[in-house]
Amino acid sequence: MSGETINLTLRVWRQDGPDSQGGFENYQLNGVSTHMSFLEMLDVLNEQLIESGQESVAFDHDCREGICGTCSLMINGQAHGPDKATTTCQLHMRRFNDGDTVTIEPWRATAFPVLKDLVVDRGAFDRIISAGGYVSVNTGNAPDGNAIPIAGAKQEVAMDAAACIGCGACVAACKNASAMLFVSAKVSQLAILPQGQLERSERVISMVSQMDDEGFGSCTNTSECEAACPAEVSVTNIARLNREFLRASLCGRE
Amino acid sequence: MDALCRICCIPAELLVKVPGLRPVIRMCCTSVGQKVLMALTGLALCGFLVTHLSGNLLLFAGEEAFNAYAEKLHSMGALLKAAEVGLLATFLAHLGLAISTTAMSRRARSKQYAQNESKQEAFAIPNGGASNWMLLTGLGIGAFLVLHLVDLKFQVRPDLVYPSASQDGTNNAYAKVKLVLSSPVSFVAYGVALILLGIHLSHGVRSALQSLGVSHPKWNKLIEIGSMVFAWAIALGFICVLGWVVLNS
Ligand code: SF4
Ligand code: FES
Repeated sequence: MSGETINLTLRVWRQDGPDSQGGFENYQLNGVSTHMSFLEMLDVLNEQLIESGQESVAFDHDCREGICGTCSLMINGQAHGPDKATTTCQLHMRRFNDGDTVTIEPWRATAFPVLKDLVVDRGAFDRIISAGGYVSVNTGNAPDGNAIPIAGAKQEVAMDAAACIGCGACVAACKNASAMLFVSAKVSQLAILPQGQLERSERVISMVSQMDDEGFGSCTNTSECEAACPAEVSVTNIARLNREFLRASLCGRE
Repeated sequence: MDALCRICCIPAELLVKVPGLRPVIRMCCTSVGQKVLMALTGLALCGFLVTHLSGNLLLFAGEEAFNAYAEKLHSMGALLKAAEVGLLATFLAHLGLAISTTAMSRRARSKQYAQNESKQEAFAIPNGGASNWMLLTGLGIGAFLVLHLVDLKFQVRPDLVYPSASQDGTNNAYAKVKLVLSSPVSFVAYGVALILLGIHLSHGVRSALQSLGVSHPKWNKLIEIGSMVFAWAIALGFICVLGWVVLNS
């Protein structure tokens, strides 16, 4: 573990807009407290940039407590940085050493175009969800919470899939920029529960076809997504997605 | 890559017009469907490898047994031809799907990272393990296959003098295998190809099962170990045959 403060060289991807070229800029940042989170460190960098009349670095963030999935960043070649099961906002600067050079890049996928600097457009995920990642409850009051019995073990499995925060690290880390882990989590959480049965077949077919239309890659079962996922969503869900897809293709309505 | 991908789509565009095939083709045009087909064709080719290896193991039983087996196989005539055509189609489909899915993935990451590290445990094979070598090992195996067919199916290797058929019309398959394998070129090429095959299968079998949805926390360890054992049993089985033939010539 390093001392209380460290000095870093930051190699940050800067890009003015979706159509501009972009490139790396180096910044020296001294006296970074090791108790800071990675995003706080970027806040300090931005203050320094603003004070010296430069434009601040754009990056995505919201909750800063690992639940919203807004933060991203490829840190030294790893999605959400070096720790497992950790989002960028929860990554601490004590994971870095004095004198380190830290390379910071945006998620890279054709389906996630860079909007500015480190911010990418993850609208593709929203469109996949709109394609089928929901259950329709068309009428009446909210049903009673315990009206439909669900076995505890099933709840657990569904909950593990529902832990996905939609951050896109799986796409970012995958050599194929495949969105299978995300889509499988969203398909699984509903396929397992009784509430999801009604739209079960249509859901998986539409979500997979939307995923393909968005231009994500094809899964090679490399499991890099699972290792990068801050919510520890397992690739077993991908197998479930494959089963759901087969079942729907073979037995569902056309 | 794009042009190749479009060529791979032609069979799909034609087949979709065949009555009854629409749902199948629609399924196969998605990334998930293509992986399912990839898995099915891959496993079918594994099935072929098992029969091929069992046949080859007869080399250990001696010249007579092996030749009798070869004779029997060739006496099947039309059935054998049909199997060969099926095998070729399966192989080409597997290759076509590999190109199509790889093209999809290449397009999906148009810009590469300046730095990229894995978060997985260290791999036995460099650069991210066998799963990152599938296309290259596959193409290597494909190239070997051409040589193998030239060597033993068409028997037209220019640097070898093949024994002619005996008076009663029977072929000495055993002698031909010995002749081909004792050429240093074949020995090296076959050896390398078999190692590539082991690497390819060590990811391929498990990946095929995952693509078909065969996965359960209770069974995954067994599936993982079983696939690995199968992969290297096949590769080492052939390597044993190769080594034995070379040592005995
Ligand atoms: S599966 Fe994991 S890595 Fe992928 S979007 Fe969900 S939380 Fe992020
Ligand atoms: S900012 Fe919400 S998960 Fe990181």
